[in-house]
Formats: sequence, structure tokens, C-alpha cells
Amino acid sequence: MNVIETENLSKTFRVKQKEKGIAGSMRAIFHPQIKEIPAVNRVSFSVEEGEALAFIGPNGAGKSTTIKMLTGILYPDGGRAEVLGMDPSRKRKPLACKIGTVFGQKEQLWTHLTPYDNFRFFGAIYDLSDKETESRIRELADIFDLNSFVNTPVRSLSLGQRIRCEIVASLIHRPRILFLDEPTIGLDPVVKENIRSLIRQMNKELHTTIFLTSHDIGDIEKLCKRIIIVNNGQIVLDNSMSHLKYHYLNRKILEVKQQEETAPPTAEGITVLKQKGSHIKLEVDTGVLRINDALRLINAEHVEDITISNIPLESIITEIYKSADAGI
Amino acid sequence: MLTAVKNQLRVCGLSVRYNIMREMLNRVTFLTNIGFMILNNATFIVQWIILFHLKEDIGGYHMSDVMLLWGLAASSYGLSRILFARAFALPGLIINGKLDAYLVQPKNVLLSVITSATNTSAIGDLIYGYLIVCLFCFSVSRLLLFTLFTITGTVIVTAFALLMGSLTFWFVRADAFGDNMINCLISFSTYPDGIFQGTARFLLYNIIPVGMAIYQPIHIMIEFDVRSLLTVLGYTILLSAIAILVFYRGLRRYSSSNLMEVRQ
Repeated sequence: MNVIETENLSKTFRVKQKEKGIAGSMRAIFHPQIKEIPAVNRVSFSVEEGEALAFIGPNGAGKSTTIKMLTGILYPDGGRAEVLGMDPSRKRKPLACKIGTVFGQKEQLWTHLTPYDNFRFFGAIYDLSDKETESRIRELADIFDLNSFVNTPVRSLSLGQRIRCEIVASLIHRPRILFLDEPTIGLDPVVKENIRSLIRQMNKELHTTIFLTSHDIGDIEKLCKRIIIVNNGQIVLDNSMSHLKYHYLNRKILEVKQQEETAPPTAEGITVLKQKGSHIKLEVDTGVLRINDALRLINAEHVEDITISNIPLESIITEIYKSADAGI
Repeated sequence: MLTAVKNQLRVCGLSVRYNIMREMLNRVTFLTNIGFMILNNATFIVQWIILFHLKEDIGGYHMSDVMLLWGLAASSYGLSRILFARAFALPGLIINGKLDAYLVQPKNVLLSVITSATNTSAIGDLIYGYLIVCLFCFSVSRLLLFTLFTITGTVIVTAFALLMGSLTFWFVRADAFGDNMINCLISFSTYPDGIFQGTARFLLYNIIPVGMAIYQPIHIMIEFDVRSLLTVLGYTILLSAIAILVFYRGLRRYSSSNLMEVRQ
């Protein structure tokens, strides 16, 4: 069952343009120039219940605008969006009862209050009774390990603790879909991993649909099974993570450390990425040259250490962005 | 329906309570803010005492009428800034994309936004308003009318601030214009309406709603008139309806932003 459906969803922002300097400002008063920027351009996709989807793209690609249209914050200019069978712009309030949102760059908690008081406030917002709110706070405080600071004012918490509280505040009403916009921004690797495992747990155990945007490849790799890449307001790739890896990981990185400096092997399908003394880094296109054949080109007698790895997902995604920009 | 209204009021009540709790974090600042606002307002009494020594009647007002005028202006503006302070900060919220947090909540956006902050010194204004009435022109019926007009004044001032703030949905830098209009409302509300004639009077009764927020209620408190009372009540409802309509029309143009933080 689809919980999110969009069809030709579009949003254009009208941005005032001004020539440089004071003269430009004066001219803009009498002859204002407006430029229309299509932030989201005829985007169509659907998300099934319980899916964990990464919705990614470079800055200004239209990710946040899409999330904001799906959560009822922004009105679309064209197309159709349906979340849990509701039009977000028309049924904002009933929809808000069924979805949760975490904007990593924006905090929704009252900083002078304790997480406990904040959760009570959010319980009231979602029309939960005091008893329900109390039991939900206890349950989530255990899952997210908040008990040691649930009564400390939010302003005194670390960033990681704050983000955990932000997520709990978004989960107080048991949402069916959780929209996460850069949830791990600014966090250290340990806290990131902690947050990811909690989101994963929620997705697996509670069957909560996860709609994630992030620039952090770790978030995408570890949380999502499907990926949608957007660029310039349009979808450039919509596929499973495994498909992405299978089709784009036909290139391997070969790192060789030799006893002495030698010339790197040359053959079609081999690209020298780096050579520093006896250390060589090669990229092997396995569609052109098998990895076995590439290894044969290296003099085994001189090899001190050798590593074969996949191209980092980050590089693959950057390449997809670039090819979309170039219209390939 | 009734449950929804009850729940909405519960959230607004909590919001106001938490705002006041935030302001009370520093007890000294909290109390001095209130005290100095009362003192600040009181200094103007001296000015009026001197003026009434020179002239017995100013614009048809006597000393007690001017005190009533000051009291109502202070209490209306004060209550508006205690309960609905964010109505005065709407342009900043629109420009910086800070309405997002309220839009993802299953509650009335407008009420959630305008009740999300409070102004401590406004408590001083409200206390000052009631002190003036009790000290200079007390009667039970007047106190009841004063309370009623404090409420209508609060609604009118808030609705006007909301209207001016909502202009930012359409015009960049409309905040400066809105601030000037609100300052006009506050300034004119402390002078007897009898001194304004012609265009100024027209503006004060039609464009800047000080006539219906302050002047007309003062006339009713001096000499009760049912028709005038109904006019004030009708105007209050009409202006609120227009302000709400304009806000929601504007909200359709809201373009959000990716700036950091929502609450401060």
C-alpha cells in the first residue's frame, strides 16, 4: 500500500533580481525584475508503507521543498501530492496527527524547558491525555535512553541529546511516516550511529515509513533500501540501493604498496588515480578489464600490500549529480 | 468540535504559561522590566497635570478622561503583548521561514504562532492600566466596562498587528511600514481624539483602528450608549475576521527558508 504518492508535483519560487550597486537598487524600485525558479519540477514517485527511502540531491535540488509540500508547509503550484490518502495542503491538521517531522537544522523544542515538559507540551498538541503522554514518555525515554537527562533544561543538553529529544518529540503521537531532513547534521560519529540504529529499529519494529533527506552517505547507506536522487528539481534516479551499487560499482579501487618505486601498469580500463613513491592507486573498470587481469599486470614480487575496494557511494552519487547537470 | 476548541485552548494556555516561565527565569530582570514599564507610563501623568493646569479642557477631555484613555491604551496594548506578542513579530517569522514548526502541528497555525511568545514589560502596561482606573476614576460599572474594552482593544490591536505583519507575505520590507502603522496606533491612542480633525480624524477611525480600539470605548465609559457599544463589538469581530482571512491567504504564499532554529 502506498502511503505517499506524487504526480507531476511542482513548485516555483519567484525571486526578485537586482543589478549591482545603489543604482541597481534604485532601478529595482521602478522596474522590479522577478525571476521564476522552479524548485520542484513535475516530480512523480510513490512510497510504500514501511519503506525506508533516501531522498537526496545537492543543495538547491528541491529536497526540502518536496518534504515541505508533503508535510503541508508549502502549497504546490502544480501536480498532485497525497500522503496517507490526504492532500497535505488541504488536510494539514488531520495529516499532522499521523506524520512526524524532524528538521535537523531547526529545533522545535522550548530550550528553557526540560525534555519532559516539552514532551508534555507535544502530548497536548497531539491531543493525548495526560496518562497516554506519561506512558509514551516512559516508553520513548527507555528506547532513546533519555532517562539521565529528561529533567535537564534543553539548553543545557549536548547536540546529540537534543536531536534525540527532537526525534522523541516527533514520535510522541506514534506517527506512521517520519520525515527526517538532515537528522544527523553536526553530530559526532558515535551519536550519528546511535541515532541511525534507533531509526532503523523504529522502521523494523514499528513499521514506520522513513522519508530521509541527508548529505551524509552513512545515513543513506545504513538506513535506506531505496534511493531517489533529485537535481534541479527533477528526479534523476529512482531505484533500490542494491541496484545502484550493482550498476555503479563496476569499478574497483586498487591500492598497491610496493617495495620500490615502479611504473604503474598501463592497459585499457585502468586509470591511475594517484602515485606517490611506491604507493599507487588505480581505478579498474571491470567492464573492460577483469580484476584478475589487472592484478596480473602488477609485479607480484615487489608487492608489500594490496587492497581492493569498491568506489565510495559518495563518489557514485556525485557522479550522478554531475551527469544530470551535464544532461547525460 | 467542542473538544477540538478545548484542546486548542489547552495548548494556547500551556504556551502562554511556558512563555511566562521563560521570562521568569531571571527574577530580577522580570520584576524590573515590569516595574520600569509602570514607572515609564507614570511619567506622562506629570505632563498631563501641567497641561491641565494651563487649560481646563483639552479636545473635550478632562484630567480623569485622559487618565482613563491612558489606562485603556496601556491595558489593551499590554494584554495584546502578553498573550499574542508574536503577532507583532510576524514579518520576521515569515521572512526567516520560522512558521514551519507551527505548520506541522495539528493545531490552528495562527493561534499557535501568535501565542508562542510573551513580553514581560507588557505585564507592567496591564497593571498600570488597572491601577489608573482604580486610582483616578473608579466605579464598579466602569471597571467592568474597562475590562470589556481591554479585551476588545486587545483583539483590535492584535488583529491590526496581524494585518500589518501579513503584508510581508506579499511585499518584501513591508515590516517597516507595518511597524510604523503600529507605532502610530500606540502614539495616537494616548491623545484625546477631540484634538484631531479632518483627515487625521478620518485616518484614526478608518485606517488606523485607534478610534474603535480606544476613543469610542472612552466615550462609552464617560457616557454609556448601547449603539456605540454594539458598533465597537461589531468592528472588533469584523477586523478580526479580515485579519484572519488575510493571514490565511498570505500563508498560501509562504515560501519557508532553510535558516537555523525556530524557537528562541
